Amino acid sequence: MIQKKVCMVGVFATGKTSLVQRFIHSLFSTKYHSTVGVKIDRKQVQVGTEQVNLLLWDIEGRTAEQEIPDSYLKGAHAVLYVADGTRRETFEQLFSLRDHVRSAAGDVPSIVALNKYDLKNQWVVAAADGKKLIDGGFHMLTTSAKTGEGVEDAFRWVAKTTLSGATQTVQQPDHHGN
Amino acid sequence: METETLPARMIRVDVSGLSHAGKVRSVNEDHFAIMTLQKAVQLRATNLQDTTLLDRLRKPQVDIFVVADGVGGGVGGKIASGVAVKAVVEYLAEAVGCVQDFDVDRENAFLEHLSQAVQHGHHRLKEMFQTQGGPATTLTMVTLVWPRAYVIHLGDSRGYFLRRGTLRQFTRDQTMGNYLVDIGAVTEQHAEKAGLYNVLSSAVGGDFVPTVGVVDLADGDALLLCTDGLTKHVSDERIAQILGSLNAEGAVHSLIDAALDGGGTDNVTVVVAKAE
Repeated sequence: MIQKKVCMVGVFATGKTSLVQRFIHSLFSTKYHSTVGVKIDRKQVQVGTEQVNLLLWDIEGRTAEQEIPDSYLKGAHAVLYVADGTRRETFEQLFSLRDHVRSAAGDVPSIVALNKYDLKNQWVVAAADGKKLIDGGFHMLTTSAKTGEGVEDAFRWVAKTTLSGATQTVQQPDHHGN
Repeated sequence: METETLPARMIRVDVSGLSHAGKVRSVNEDHFAIMTLQKAVQLRATNLQDTTLLDRLRKPQVDIFVVADGVGGGVGGKIASGVAVKAVVEYLAEAVGCVQDFDVDRENAFLEHLSQAVQHGHHRLKEMFQTQGGPATTLTMVTLVWPRAYVIHLGDSRGYFLRRGTLRQFTRDQTMGNYLVDIGAVTEQHAEKAGLYNVLSSAVGGDFVPTVGVVDLADGDALLLCTDGLTKHVSDERIAQILGSLNAEGAVHSLIDAALDGGGTDNVTVVVAKAE
Protein backbone atom coordinates (compact mmCIF):
# COMPACT_ATOMS: atom_id res chain seq x y z
CA MET A 1 0.00 0.00 0.00
CA ILE A 2 1.13 3.53 -0.70
CA GLN A 3 2.25 5.31 2.48
CA LYS A 4 2.66 9.04 2.79
CA LYS A 5 4.16 10.94 5.68
CA VAL A 6 2.21 14.10 6.41
CA CYS A 7 3.61 16.59 8.93
CA MET A 8 1.22 18.76 10.92
CA VAL A 9 2.96 21.96 11.91
CA GLY A 10 2.00 25.25 13.48
CA VAL A 11 2.27 27.42 16.54
CA PHE A 12 1.24 25.78 19.82
CA ALA A 13 -2.46 25.44 20.61
CA THR A 14 -3.72 25.94 17.05
CA GLY A 15 -5.53 22.61 17.06
CA LYS A 16 -3.20 20.21 15.24
CA THR A 17 -3.95 17.30 17.56
CA SER A 18 -7.65 18.11 17.57
CA LEU A 19 -7.76 18.00 13.77
CA VAL A 20 -6.13 14.58 13.79
CA GLN A 21 -8.51 13.38 16.50
CA ARG A 22 -11.49 14.62 14.55
CA PHE A 23 -10.26 13.06 11.31
CA ILE A 24 -9.36 9.68 12.78
CA HIS A 25 -11.72 9.17 15.71
CA SER A 26 -14.50 11.72 15.00
CA LEU A 27 -13.85 13.09 18.47
CA PHE A 28 -13.27 16.55 19.85
CA SER A 29 -12.01 17.48 23.28
CA THR A 30 -12.18 20.96 24.73
CA LYS A 31 -9.37 20.06 27.10
CA TYR A 32 -5.98 21.20 25.82
CA HIS A 33 -3.02 18.83 25.94
CA SER A 34 0.31 19.97 24.69
CA THR A 35 2.00 17.42 22.44
CA VAL A 36 5.54 16.50 23.43
CA GLY A 37 7.68 15.37 20.52
CA VAL A 38 5.56 13.82 17.81
CA LYS A 39 2.43 11.74 17.98
CA ILE A 40 1.97 9.46 15.00
CA ASP A 41 -1.41 8.30 13.78
CA ARG A 42 -2.40 6.60 10.61
CA LYS A 43 -5.50 6.48 8.47
CA GLN A 44 -6.32 4.91 5.15
CA VAL A 45 -7.91 7.17 2.61
CA GLN A 46 -9.45 6.05 -0.65
CA VAL A 47 -8.46 8.22 -3.59
CA GLY A 48 -10.12 7.00 -6.77
CA THR A 49 -9.06 3.38 -7.07
CA GLU A 50 -6.03 3.79 -4.79
CA GLN A 51 -5.75 3.33 -1.04
CA VAL A 52 -3.36 5.76 0.60
CA ASN A 53 -2.10 5.19 4.12
CA LEU A 54 -1.57 8.63 5.62
CA LEU A 55 0.97 8.68 8.44
CA LEU A 56 0.11 11.81 10.33
CA TRP A 57 3.05 13.26 12.24
CA ASP A 58 1.48 15.62 14.73
CA ILE A 59 4.52 17.68 15.71
CA GLU A 60 4.58 19.65 18.94
CA GLY A 61 3.71 23.27 18.41
CA ARG A 62 6.27 25.94 17.79
CA THR A 63 6.94 28.38 20.60
CA ALA A 64 9.00 31.54 20.80
CA GLU A 65 11.80 29.48 22.35
CA GLN A 66 11.54 26.38 20.25
CA GLU A 67 11.86 25.87 16.52
CA ILE A 68 10.48 22.68 14.95
CA PRO A 69 13.38 20.22 14.71
CA ASP A 70 14.40 19.52 11.09
CA SER A 71 14.67 15.85 11.93
CA TYR A 72 10.90 15.58 12.39
CA LEU A 73 10.23 17.12 9.00
CA LYS A 74 12.63 15.09 6.88
CA GLY A 75 10.98 12.70 4.49
CA ALA A 76 7.58 14.43 4.60
CA HIS A 77 5.45 13.97 1.49
CA ALA A 78 3.15 16.82 2.46
CA VAL A 79 2.73 19.44 5.16
CA LEU A 80 -0.48 20.55 6.76
CA TYR A 81 0.06 23.95 8.39
CA VAL A 82 -2.41 24.80 11.10
CA ALA A 83 -3.21 28.36 12.15
CA ASP A 84 -5.82 29.56 14.62
CA GLY A 85 -8.16 32.00 12.91
CA THR A 86 -8.74 33.74 16.23
CA ARG A 87 -5.03 34.37 16.93
CA ARG A 88 -3.41 36.58 14.37
CA GLU A 89 0.18 35.68 15.29
CA THR A 90 -0.43 32.06 14.35
CA PHE A 91 -1.36 33.21 10.85
CA GLU A 92 1.52 35.66 10.58
CA GLN A 93 4.09 32.99 11.33
CA LEU A 94 3.01 30.79 8.45
CA PHE A 95 5.47 32.18 5.91
CA SER A 96 8.50 31.89 8.19
CA LEU A 97 7.33 28.43 9.20
CA ARG A 98 7.17 27.45 5.56
CA ASP A 99 10.71 28.73 4.96
CA HIS A 100 11.89 26.52 7.77
CA VAL A 101 9.90 23.51 6.58
CA ARG A 102 11.16 23.91 3.02
CA SER A 103 14.75 23.93 4.18
CA ALA A 104 14.20 20.60 5.93
CA ALA A 105 11.63 18.81 3.77
CA GLY A 106 11.86 20.52 0.40
CA ASP A 107 9.01 21.96 -1.62
CA VAL A 108 6.34 19.40 -0.82
CA PRO A 109 2.58 19.93 -1.24
CA SER A 110 1.29 22.23 1.47
CA ILE A 111 -2.08 23.23 2.76
CA VAL A 112 -3.09 25.69 5.44
CA ALA A 113 -5.96 24.82 7.76
CA LEU A 114 -7.30 28.03 9.25
CA ASN A 115 -8.74 26.31 12.24
CA LYS A 116 -11.36 27.10 14.92
CA TYR A 117 -13.87 28.34 12.37
CA ASP A 118 -16.60 27.57 14.89
CA LEU A 119 -15.40 30.75 16.67
CA LYS A 120 -16.44 32.96 13.76
CA ASN A 121 -17.31 35.86 16.04
CA GLN A 122 -13.68 36.01 17.20
CA TRP A 123 -12.19 35.58 13.71
CA VAL A 124 -9.27 37.91 13.02
CA VAL A 125 -8.11 36.68 9.63
CA ALA A 126 -9.54 38.87 6.89
CA ALA A 127 -10.33 37.96 3.29
CA ALA A 128 -7.23 39.88 2.20
CA ASP A 129 -5.13 37.70 4.46
CA GLY A 130 -6.52 34.59 2.84
CA LYS A 131 -5.66 36.00 -0.55
CA LYS A 132 -2.14 36.63 0.67
CA LEU A 133 -1.80 32.97 1.52
CA ILE A 134 -3.12 31.85 -1.83
CA ASP A 135 -0.90 34.33 -3.66
CA GLY A 136 1.97 32.99 -1.60
CA GLY A 137 1.40 29.51 -2.97
CA PHE A 138 -0.60 27.88 -0.21
CA HIS A 139 -3.71 25.87 -0.69
CA MET A 140 -6.07 26.94 2.08
CA LEU A 141 -9.21 25.78 3.86
CA THR A 142 -11.06 26.93 6.91
CA THR A 143 -11.60 24.12 9.38
CA SER A 144 -13.20 23.42 12.70
CA ALA A 145 -12.01 20.44 14.68
CA LYS A 146 -14.99 21.06 16.94
CA THR A 147 -17.71 20.77 14.31
CA GLY A 148 -15.71 18.76 11.77
CA GLU A 149 -16.20 21.40 9.11
CA GLY A 150 -13.51 21.27 6.43
CA VAL A 151 -11.47 18.60 8.23
CA GLU A 152 -12.15 15.68 5.91
CA ASP A 153 -11.62 17.98 2.92
CA ALA A 154 -8.22 19.09 4.18
CA PHE A 155 -6.87 15.58 4.67
CA ARG A 156 -8.42 14.36 1.44
CA TRP A 157 -6.68 17.18 -0.42
CA VAL A 158 -3.42 16.05 1.13
CA ALA A 159 -4.00 12.40 0.17
CA LYS A 160 -4.97 13.28 -3.36
CA THR A 161 -2.10 15.67 -3.90
CA THR A 162 0.58 13.37 -2.52
CA LEU A 163 -0.74 10.60 -4.69
CA SER A 164 -0.62 12.70 -7.82
CA GLY A 165 2.96 13.59 -6.95
CA ALA A 166 2.16 17.20 -7.59
CA THR A 167 4.30 19.87 -6.05
CA GLN A 168 2.74 22.83 -4.36
CA THR A 169 -0.17 24.20 -6.29
CA VAL A 170 -1.83 27.54 -6.29
CA GLN A 171 -5.58 27.08 -6.24
CA GLN A 172 -8.62 28.89 -5.17
CA PRO A 173 -9.97 27.23 -2.05
CA ASP A 174 -12.99 25.06 -2.68
CA HIS A 175 -14.30 25.24 0.85
CA HIS A 176 -14.78 28.47 2.78
CA GLY A 177 -11.63 30.02 1.40
CA ASN A 178 -11.48 33.68 2.28
CA MET B 1 54.01 -2.51 11.57
CA GLU B 2 51.60 0.36 11.35
CA THR B 3 48.23 0.14 13.09
CA GLU B 4 45.65 2.68 14.02
CA THR B 5 43.14 2.34 16.81
CA LEU B 6 39.67 3.07 15.59
CA PRO B 7 37.38 5.48 17.33
CA ALA B 8 34.85 3.96 19.67
CA ARG B 9 31.15 4.13 18.93
CA MET B 10 30.01 7.73 19.24
CA ILE B 11 27.22 7.28 21.76
CA ARG B 12 27.28 5.07 24.79
CA VAL B 13 24.01 4.74 26.61
CA ASP B 14 24.28 4.49 30.37
CA VAL B 15 21.14 2.62 31.33
CA SER B 16 19.84 0.93 34.42
CA GLY B 17 16.54 -0.49 35.65
CA LEU B 18 15.11 -1.59 38.97
CA SER B 19 11.80 -2.94 40.25
CA HIS B 20 10.48 -3.19 43.81
CA ALA B 21 7.27 -4.66 45.24
CA GLY B 22 6.82 -1.65 47.52
CA LYS B 23 5.90 -1.64 51.19
CA VAL B 24 2.33 -2.85 51.01
CA ARG B 25 1.92 -5.42 48.27
CA SER B 26 3.27 -8.94 48.55
CA VAL B 27 3.42 -9.56 44.82
CA ASN B 28 5.37 -7.44 42.35
CA GLU B 29 3.22 -7.23 39.22
CA ASP B 30 5.72 -5.00 37.39
CA HIS B 31 8.32 -6.13 34.88
CA PHE B 32 10.95 -4.35 32.84
CA ALA B 33 13.51 -5.19 30.19
CA ILE B 34 16.53 -3.40 28.79
CA MET B 35 18.11 -4.72 25.61
CA THR B 36 20.56 -3.70 22.96
CA LEU B 37 20.31 -5.08 19.45
CA GLN B 38 23.62 -5.29 17.67
CA LYS B 39 24.64 -6.84 14.41
CA ALA B 40 27.81 -5.29 13.17
CA VAL B 41 31.38 -6.14 12.38
CA GLN B 42 33.59 -4.47 14.91
CA LEU B 43 36.85 -3.49 13.23
CA ARG B 44 39.20 -3.10 16.16
CA ALA B 45 42.29 -1.82 14.37
CA THR B 46 43.56 -1.31 10.82
CA ASN B 47 45.99 0.66 8.75
CA LEU B 48 43.52 0.98 5.88
CA GLN B 49 43.35 4.47 4.47
CA ASP B 50 39.89 4.10 3.03
CA THR B 51 37.58 4.97 5.89
CA THR B 52 34.41 4.56 3.85
CA LEU B 53 34.66 0.90 4.82
CA LEU B 54 33.99 1.92 8.39
CA ASP B 55 30.85 3.78 7.42
CA ARG B 56 29.50 0.71 5.67
CA LEU B 57 30.25 -1.54 8.61
CA ARG B 58 28.82 0.81 11.17
CA LYS B 59 25.23 -0.04 12.09
CA PRO B 60 23.11 2.04 14.36
CA GLN B 61 22.92 0.79 17.90
CA VAL B 62 19.35 0.04 18.88
CA ASP B 63 18.53 0.16 22.58
CA ILE B 64 15.10 -0.93 23.75
CA PHE B 65 13.58 -0.26 27.14
CA VAL B 66 10.24 -1.61 28.33
CA VAL B 67 8.27 -1.24 31.56
CA ALA B 68 4.97 -2.99 32.25
CA ASP B 69 2.58 -2.91 35.19
CA GLY B 70 0.21 -5.85 35.36
CA VAL B 71 -3.41 -5.41 36.37
CA GLY B 72 -5.93 -8.05 37.26
CA GLY B 73 -4.97 -8.76 40.81
CA GLY B 74 -2.22 -10.79 42.40
CA VAL B 75 -0.64 -13.43 40.23
CA GLY B 76 -2.74 -12.55 37.17
CA GLY B 77 -1.19 -9.10 36.88
CA LYS B 78 2.29 -10.46 37.39
CA ILE B 79 1.76 -13.04 34.66
CA ALA B 80 0.30 -10.42 32.30
CA SER B 81 3.21 -7.99 32.53
CA GLY B 82 5.74 -10.85 32.38
CA VAL B 83 4.14 -12.45 29.34
CA ALA B 84 3.90 -9.12 27.51
CA VAL B 85 7.51 -8.11 28.14
CA LYS B 86 8.78 -11.59 27.29
CA ALA B 87 6.77 -11.66 24.07
CA VAL B 88 8.15 -8.28 23.03
CA VAL B 89 11.71 -9.42 23.72
CA GLU B 90 11.15 -12.66 21.79
CA TYR B 91 9.63 -10.92 18.81
CA LEU B 92 12.42 -8.39 18.60
CA ALA B 93 15.06 -11.07 18.98
CA GLU B 94 13.57 -12.89 15.99
CA ALA B 95 13.17 -9.67 14.02
CA VAL B 96 16.62 -8.42 14.92
CA GLY B 97 17.69 -8.40 11.28
CA CYS B 98 14.81 -6.17 10.29
CA VAL B 99 15.42 -3.83 13.17
CA GLN B 100 19.13 -3.66 12.44
CA ASP B 101 18.45 -2.76 8.84
CA PHE B 102 16.93 0.42 10.16
CA ASP B 103 17.46 3.56 8.20
CA VAL B 104 15.63 6.84 8.38
CA ASP B 105 14.08 6.44 4.95
CA ARG B 106 12.39 3.25 6.05
CA GLU B 107 11.42 4.23 9.53
CA ASN B 108 7.73 3.63 8.86
CA ALA B 109 8.50 -0.03 8.35
CA PHE B 110 10.67 0.05 11.45
CA LEU B 111 7.82 1.51 13.49
CA GLU B 112 5.59 -1.20 12.11
CA HIS B 113 7.96 -3.84 13.48
CA LEU B 114 7.94 -2.22 16.89
CA SER B 115 4.15 -2.05 16.91
CA GLN B 116 3.96 -5.69 15.90
CA ALA B 117 6.25 -6.62 18.78
CA VAL B 118 3.78 -5.12 21.23
CA GLN B 119 0.85 -6.63 19.37
CA HIS B 120 2.59 -9.99 19.69
CA GLY B 121 2.47 -9.57 23.48
CA HIS B 122 -1.21 -8.69 23.28
CA HIS B 123 -2.08 -11.78 21.24
CA ARG B 124 0.01 -14.01 23.47
CA LEU B 125 -1.91 -12.79 26.49
CA LYS B 126 -5.25 -13.18 24.77
CA GLU B 127 -4.37 -16.74 23.84
CA MET B 128 -3.43 -17.59 27.42
CA PHE B 129 -6.53 -16.08 28.98
CA GLN B 130 -9.36 -16.62 26.58
CA THR B 131 -11.95 -14.98 28.78
CA GLN B 132 -13.16 -11.44 28.63
CA GLY B 133 -11.71 -9.35 31.42
CA GLY B 134 -8.61 -11.49 31.93
CA PRO B 135 -5.40 -9.97 33.25
CA ALA B 136 -3.89 -7.14 31.31
CA THR B 137 -0.89 -4.86 31.57
CA THR B 138 0.35 -1.40 30.83
CA LEU B 139 3.33 -1.28 28.54
CA THR B 140 5.60 1.62 27.69
CA MET B 141 8.42 0.89 25.29
CA VAL B 142 11.11 3.20 23.99
CA THR B 143 13.36 2.15 21.14
CA LEU B 144 16.36 4.42 21.05
CA VAL B 145 18.26 4.83 17.80
CA TRP B 146 20.22 7.82 18.95
CA PRO B 147 19.06 10.54 18.99
CA ARG B 148 15.57 9.34 18.07
CA ALA B 149 13.36 7.66 20.64
CA TYR B 150 10.41 5.72 19.20
CA VAL B 151 7.64 5.36 21.75
CA ILE B 152 4.84 2.81 21.96
CA HIS B 153 2.57 3.23 24.91
CA LEU B 154 -0.49 1.63 26.48
CA GLY B 155 -1.96 2.30 29.91
CA ASP B 156 -0.73 4.57 32.66
CA SER B 157 2.95 3.83 33.01
CA ARG B 158 4.91 6.86 31.89
CA GLY B 159 7.80 8.14 29.85
CA TYR B 160 9.68 11.35 30.61
CA PHE B 161 12.81 13.11 29.49
CA LEU B 162 14.82 15.68 31.36
CA ARG B 163 16.37 18.48 29.31
CA ARG B 164 18.30 21.32 30.91
CA GLY B 165 16.54 20.76 34.21
CA THR B 166 13.02 20.61 32.80
CA LEU B 167 11.10 17.34 33.04
CA ARG B 168 8.65 16.62 30.22
CA GLN B 169 6.23 13.75 30.05
CA PHE B 170 5.92 12.36 26.52
CA THR B 171 3.23 9.78 27.24
CA ARG B 172 -0.34 10.45 28.24
CA ASP B 173 -2.10 8.18 30.69
CA GLN B 174 -4.68 6.02 28.93
CA THR B 175 -7.32 5.98 31.64
CA MET B 176 -11.11 6.04 31.56
CA GLY B 177 -10.88 9.33 33.44
CA ASN B 178 -8.87 11.00 30.70
CA TYR B 179 -10.97 9.42 27.96
CA LEU B 180 -14.35 10.43 29.39
CA VAL B 181 -13.18 13.92 30.27
CA ASP B 182 -11.77 14.30 26.76
CA ILE B 183 -15.05 13.45 25.09
CA GLY B 184 -16.92 15.67 27.51
CA ALA B 185 -18.88 12.84 29.13
CA VAL B 186 -17.83 13.68 32.69
CA THR B 187 -16.05 16.47 34.50
CA GLU B 188 -12.57 16.10 35.96
CA GLN B 189 -14.07 16.28 39.43
CA HIS B 190 -16.49 13.50 38.65
CA ALA B 191 -13.76 11.35 37.13
CA GLU B 192 -11.59 11.89 40.19
CA LYS B 193 -14.38 11.13 42.61
CA ALA B 194 -15.46 8.01 40.74
CA GLY B 195 -11.90 6.70 40.59
CA LEU B 196 -11.92 6.73 36.79
CA TYR B 197 -8.28 7.78 36.62
CA ASN B 198 -7.43 4.40 38.13
CA VAL B 199 -9.19 2.46 35.38
CA LEU B 200 -7.25 1.83 32.18
CA SER B 201 -8.93 2.65 28.88
CA SER B 202 -6.29 0.76 26.91
CA ALA B 203 -3.88 -2.03 27.82
CA VAL B 204 -2.06 -5.05 26.47
CA GLY B 205 -4.53 -7.90 26.93
CA GLY B 206 -7.42 -5.45 27.23
CA ASP B 207 -8.74 -2.83 24.82
CA PHE B 208 -5.64 -2.53 22.70
CA VAL B 209 -5.19 1.04 21.44
CA PRO B 210 -1.47 1.82 21.45
CA THR B 211 -0.21 5.33 20.92
CA VAL B 212 2.90 5.76 18.81
CA GLY B 213 5.26 8.68 18.99
CA VAL B 214 8.72 10.01 18.44
CA VAL B 215 10.97 12.22 20.54
CA ASP B 216 14.37 13.38 19.38
CA LEU B 217 16.74 13.55 22.31
CA ALA B 218 19.71 15.84 22.71
CA ASP B 219 23.10 15.48 24.35
CA GLY B 220 22.74 15.58 28.10
CA ASP B 221 19.10 14.44 28.15
CA ALA B 222 18.01 11.76 30.59
CA LEU B 223 15.20 9.36 29.76
CA LEU B 224 12.90 7.80 32.35
CA LEU B 225 10.30 5.06 32.00
CA CYS B 226 8.36 4.22 35.14
CA THR B 227 5.25 2.59 36.50
CA ASP B 228 2.74 4.60 38.52
CA GLY B 229 4.22 3.37 41.77
CA LEU B 230 6.80 6.11 41.27
CA THR B 231 4.65 9.02 40.20
CA LYS B 232 1.99 8.62 42.88
CA HIS B 233 4.65 9.23 45.52
CA VAL B 234 7.40 11.34 43.98
CA SER B 235 6.94 14.86 42.60
CA ASP B 236 8.17 15.94 39.17
CA GLU B 237 10.59 18.33 40.87
CA ARG B 238 12.17 15.53 42.89
CA ILE B 239 12.36 13.25 39.83
CA ALA B 240 14.07 16.01 37.87
CA GLN B 241 16.53 16.61 40.68
CA ILE B 242 17.47 12.92 40.87
CA LEU B 243 17.74 12.45 37.10
CA GLY B 244 19.86 15.56 36.76
CA SER B 245 22.37 14.73 39.45
CA LEU B 246 23.10 11.00 39.27
CA ASN B 247 24.22 8.40 36.76
CA ALA B 248 21.66 5.84 35.60
CA GLU B 249 22.35 3.30 38.31
CA GLY B 250 22.39 5.90 41.06
CA ALA B 251 19.19 7.43 39.71
CA VAL B 252 17.16 4.19 39.65
CA HIS B 253 18.10 3.40 43.26
CA SER B 254 17.38 6.92 44.38
CA LEU B 255 14.01 7.00 42.58
CA ILE B 256 12.93 3.70 44.13
CA ASP B 257 14.03 4.94 47.56
CA ALA B 258 12.03 8.12 47.06
CA ALA B 259 8.91 6.12 46.15
CA LEU B 260 9.31 3.92 49.22
CA ASP B 261 9.92 6.94 51.44
CA GLY B 262 6.76 8.48 50.01
CA GLY B 263 4.68 5.50 51.10
CA GLY B 264 5.52 2.65 48.73
CA THR B 265 1.86 1.74 48.37
CA ASP B 266 2.33 0.20 44.94
CA ASN B 267 4.89 -1.78 43.00
CA VAL B 268 7.44 0.57 41.51
CA THR B 269 9.65 0.10 38.47
CA VAL B 270 12.01 2.56 36.81
CA VAL B 271 14.36 2.50 33.84
CA VAL B 272 16.75 5.41 33.39
CA ALA B 273 18.93 6.01 30.34
CA LYS B 274 21.50 8.70 29.77
CA ALA B 275 23.54 9.17 26.61
CA GLU B 276 27.21 9.81 27.17
